[in-house]
Amino acid sequence: MSPERIVLPDVGCTLEPLVRTITQDTINRYADASGDHNPLHVDPEFAAATQFGGPIAHGMLLLAMLSEMLTVAFGTSWVTSGRMKTRFRGAGRPGDTITCRGTVKSRVGETVACSIECVNQDGDLLISGDATLKIKQ
Amino acid sequence: MPLTVANLEKGHAFPPVTFELSRGWVDQYSEAVSDSTIATLGPGLVPPMAIAALSIRALLQHAALAPGTIHAGQEVSFSSATHVGDTLSVTASVASRGERAGWVLMGVDLEAFGPAGPVMTGRATITFPVDATN
Repeated sequence: MSPERIVLPDVGCTLEPLVRTITQDTINRYADASGDHNPLHVDPEFAAATQFGGPIAHGMLLLAMLSEMLTVAFGTSWVTSGRMKTRFRGAGRPGDTITCRGTVKSRVGETVACSIECVNQDGDLLISGDATLKIKQ
Repeated sequence: MPLTVANLEKGHAFPPVTFELSRGWVDQYSEAVSDSTIATLGPGLVPPMAIAALSIRALLQHAALAPGTIHAGQEVSFSSATHVGDTLSVTASVASRGERAGWVLMGVDLEAFGPAGPVMTGRATITFPVDATN
């Protein structure tokens, strides 16, 4: 692995947000990679008849974005010691611009805890949760 | 009739699944989630959420999700990095199952092991209509 040095963040500091637009093609490619072809994600006709009124993104696709944000912030410390606990609060839809963001909530020794969330372009909360990791220096 | 997750009871253990993190699949996953960051940390490193995705994929080999199933929550914990070419084994079991207001809420525990030991544990919480079990 390449050398890296992650500075212990201060409580209250915000992580660099990750912003990404998802399309139906994004969702279809994730379905192929994950093997999850739930029609709620990939069948517009089926999805239109559900309470969502149309296709929605896999929750795991949005979690992958959150994980990437944490990888940017904490490098291999996230990859080797990260823990994430999340709840899905809303649905990401084709055409949505998703913003992943996080705030450092506590730091005890080398253990850092962050609140994390995903929102859409309207500010609707899609995912909320917490992430913890140990910073390796 | 094919087995669906909706018909599983608490305590059901899925048969262990072994798979290799092939270069082709890791590239497919990384492109699907547009993850360009992981490659900057080291050659062959696999995005950690890919392990969770593959674990769920392994689970779906044995029992399909009922149409309309919704992912309600996810816990995941990583303990070791994984690399292209690693062979992983995954175990999964139904940890909880309850009903409320016509919906089933089910927790599925996942654990993935690499060549040197555990690499990921997690719990997926899913929900689906009670009538999906019929």
